[in-house]
Amino acid sequence: MTRLRRPRIARRALATLDAVANRLYGWRWNPLYQSGTVAVVLLLVLLGTGLYLVLVYRLGAPFASMARIDQDVWLGRWMRSLHRYASDAFIIAAVIHGWRMLAQRRSWGPRTLAWVSGGALLAAGLVEAWTGFVMVWDSFGERLAREGARLFDALPLFSEPLSRIFAGEDAVPGAFFFVNLFVHIGLPLGFGVGLWLHVSRLARPTLLPPRVLSWALVAAFTIAAIVWPAALGDAADPLRLAADTPINLPSAWWLPWSEQLAPLAVFGLVAAVCVSFLLVPVLTARVRTGPLAASVVDSRLCTGCNQCPQDCPWQAITMVARTDDRPTLVARVDAALCVSCGICAGSCAPMGVGPPGHNGRDQMDTFRSFTLPALRVSTVGRCVVYCCTEAPASHRAALRARGALVREVPCAGNLHSSVVELAIRSGAPGVLVFACPPRDCAGREGPRWLGERLFNDREAELQPRVDRRRARVGTMAAGDLSGTLACFDRFAQDVAALSPVLPAADLDLERECVAVTDAGAGE
Amino acid sequence: MIAGRRMIRVAVAVLATAAGLALLAAASAVSLPWHGEDAAAIRLSWSARPERIEVCRALSNAEVEALNEHMRQRVQCDGRAATYALRVRVNGVLLGDEVVRGGGLRHDRPLHLLQTYAVSPGVRRVQLEFSRRERTGGDAGTGASAAAAEADTGIFAGRAARETSERGRRTRAAVPPLMTLDTALAFAPQQVILVTFDPDGRRLVVRTGAAPRRAP
Repeated sequence: MTRLRRPRIARRALATLDAVANRLYGWRWNPLYQSGTVAVVLLLVLLGTGLYLVLVYRLGAPFASMARIDQDVWLGRWMRSLHRYASDAFIIAAVIHGWRMLAQRRSWGPRTLAWVSGGALLAAGLVEAWTGFVMVWDSFGERLAREGARLFDALPLFSEPLSRIFAGEDAVPGAFFFVNLFVHIGLPLGFGVGLWLHVSRLARPTLLPPRVLSWALVAAFTIAAIVWPAALGDAADPLRLAADTPINLPSAWWLPWSEQLAPLAVFGLVAAVCVSFLLVPVLTARVRTGPLAASVVDSRLCTGCNQCPQDCPWQAITMVARTDDRPTLVARVDAALCVSCGICAGSCAPMGVGPPGHNGRDQMDTFRSFTLPALRVSTVGRCVVYCCTEAPASHRAALRARGALVREVPCAGNLHSSVVELAIRSGAPGVLVFACPPRDCAGREGPRWLGERLFNDREAELQPRVDRRRARVGTMAAGDLSGTLACFDRFAQDVAALSPVLPAADLDLERECVAVTDAGAGE
Repeated sequence: MIAGRRMIRVAVAVLATAAGLALLAAASAVSLPWHGEDAAAIRLSWSARPERIEVCRALSNAEVEALNEHMRQRVQCDGRAATYALRVRVNGVLLGDEVVRGGGLRHDRPLHLLQTYAVSPGVRRVQLEFSRRERTGGDAGTGASAAAAEADTGIFAGRAARETSERGRRTRAAVPPLMTLDTALAFAPQQVILVTFDPDGRRLVVRTGAAPRRAP
């Protein structure tokens, strides 16, 4: 089976879009980084506006009630428009969110449940939109209803063809609109369950964007609803062949194609799309070796401090009883839940946990092998810059061109504070860690925990003996090269103003840690 | 200078947001052709019970005695639902020629017809024929007279009359063996003219206006 190892096109397109959005809004307010949480905000808007609409909606006269709502310029018109635009934007946000997960290879392994439940939520959103538009019962609603009936009539489900409802022989019965309303109201209840499933693997799911962004979104959509109220088509008339209808592209883009195909072909296509979607976790799965291997615990070093389970964003680590005679618990990693972000490695003071090759000790070895020699041959002090492997290559190249010693870690949260200490005590004027924008961190909480460890004494904290002015955490966002370089220049300027660092002699941070652990083990 | 640049950035962001929202609003109602300006159609739509074609015979006393008491009927009928041929001509051109069967696996449930034929706007001569394909008689089969001939006494008291009455009701409820329509209809652009079955008049009727509200 061909595996989609590198969805490069999706990745490049997303990076371009991210870059544009970063230039427009800055990485803090880039809505593309928040597509999942933006979808939740829109869902809340839909619930609020939907509650109003359902109160004024009449099953017996659907179009008339919608027309009456539309005539109420003070409330009804913009509420209905806001409901529609929020539903459109919900679909778009959900698609972007899925696209991001696919492009960033976050659609397999422990994330499979989130991928599948996310797809189900998107599909439910499309069905929800379908029923909502039918409820309006304008020409577009009629078109959707007719297409739905045509498709269902191909299945041996109903003794009387559904399409006869719209033949014009009798008025469309209220029961039809009742069923639509029932589904339209019932599905959002399922959304709650779907959302819970979607984030159930996360330790601290973020459900909403920053408050400012949330309110800005609501305000922007409200203004749009007032300025450009959503069009209401002509009333549905089964005995009239409308020349054209206004169709809603975000929710009903499939309609023109569906109408051209035989019902069984449509069902076949839908099934193919569903199967393809479900296969994505299989097709994008990667062999879990090297940097993708699950974290492992060195039980000899584990002190049972319970920090790594607290820091793990994926609830992949639990504390269990030891098999030896030491009185502490020991961390255990569930490989099926671990995404190899390496955040646990940065949380462990004795450096006893992390993905193979990326725990604290491995990072120190790598530093000594590759970074330290480069640092020593340099006649001028060179700042050490750590970047996430997801960081844009152009930014890394630009930093190198400015004389920085650029190194990579799987996630900023993977970087152990002892490496920062080692670099500074080895003579580096400063260590600048470029993390991804917090809402775009593949490890979810890398920038957050890194900042806490370096500056707020969270385990494994940067030791007090290290001058904090020589360490800094920046953000590297696609399309914001000037921001990256400005951050580096500022940092380089600041550390240059400090007195030069003299390399410490006989520096062995690991031995210090091991000594403590061994002492504990010997008790 | 920096403040001015920031103002420009904010303005560009606001403009981009407005453009995005305008695009969303535009995408929310894109006009898409459906039937075209010069479309018109004739739609046939009705539901009715197909006739039941039966062969009935009166059971002998011995045959009746052999049945469980609650299953005894003087007249026993075997049969099947009728099938119908639908032919539609507009200005003499055959638009539809098909067989219509009742619903269900045995085709003995009500038949539901829904056909829409595109026609050009203007006055058109519409000829429609809906005829039973089977040549034999319908519900009032041969057994009816035989049943009437049987003694209507004992546990069968009034039974034969009731069975005859029931058969008559079923016959009246079923679609007639032949229904035709031959008329000139004026099709306006975008108009659908509906031909349906009037169960009270037991004939095809043409409807051009809005559908009446169905009684609750």
